[in-house]
Amino acid sequence: MKTTSIALGLSIFLLTGAAAADDDCDDPVSGWQPRENLRQQLEADGWEVYRIKVDDGCYEVKGRNEQGRRVEASFAPSDFQLMEMEGEDEEDDDDRRNRYQGNSGWSPENDDDDDRDDDEREDDDDEGRGDNANGNNNGPKPMPSNGIVKGRPSVSVQ
Amino acid sequence: MRKYFVVLGLALAMVFSAAASAREVTFNTQLTNYRGDGAYLAIYLTDSNGVYQGTLWIAGQDSEYYKHLRGWARGSRMRRAEYDGLTGASVTSGRALKITMNLDDAFIDSGYEIHVDSAVEDMRDNRSDVVVPLTTDGAGKPVSGRGYVESFTYNF
Repeated sequence: MKTTSIALGLSIFLLTGAAAADDDCDDPVSGWQPRENLRQQLEADGWEVYRIKVDDGCYEVKGRNEQGRRVEASFAPSDFQLMEMEGEDEEDDDDRRNRYQGNSGWSPENDDDDDRDDDEREDDDDEGRGDNANGNNNGPKPMPSNGIVKGRPSVSVQ
Repeated sequence: MRKYFVVLGLALAMVFSAAASAREVTFNTQLTNYRGDGAYLAIYLTDSNGVYQGTLWIAGQDSEYYKHLRGWARGSRMRRAEYDGLTGASVTSGRALKITMNLDDAFIDSGYEIHVDSAVEDMRDNRSDVVVPLTTDGAGKPVSGRGYVESFTYNF
């Protein structure tokens, strides 16, 4: 009985440790900025913020980004560094694929990552990356719009 | 008639000044044989204080992993407008990525720096794998990286 209790205690301890290690953000609470600051910063960037809550030590924001896309994003509470951003789960896959193609020329084949862990990268995404390095295999690409690069760059992998 | 020549002259002057304000720059990024999956790279401009100014190129198609390009992600906040039209495939171990683009003259010899962030699946992320000032003197001189980049060179 005693052995079982010790084993159970150890298991709980290890599980708790594992959970803590998975936390995305580990900023000390004393350095956290108010979430209202994050809201203001995001709204200044063109976001529409639905709600901000604390999750795994991060500020988790649900809303629409400056492109009007529904997103769920995590930010470090002290410096608001973006830790993770993804489309919301309830979005329809077909809608997402259409939007990705329309916005950036992404191929839908590269966008089947809903069920993946954050740190996983699919093997099929890696295949032939060098061969595709000119980035022109997914149809017409949009012109750069950031005002830094003039015209479309030419790219090759050697 | 004279008025016509004045207008034509002004138009030509505008065309030539616009052409003169951009310079063709080629960036060559040679990767080491790090023996991993394709590397995601972010090539971007900062001012002399390291403050992000703009994206030049992102190698890697899946934006879910752009957060691993940590310096760039922080500066650009990963806004799509920052990298639209400036993305391509990731670069495999041992290969070289060559990009040629027209860049505003104002960024050259003005204290701006080129940064390269790199990341590979299941391997460490390298913020500022390469940092090099964008100057006429620096053109053609290879700079060593501290991560997956073996050498980085730019030429005008």
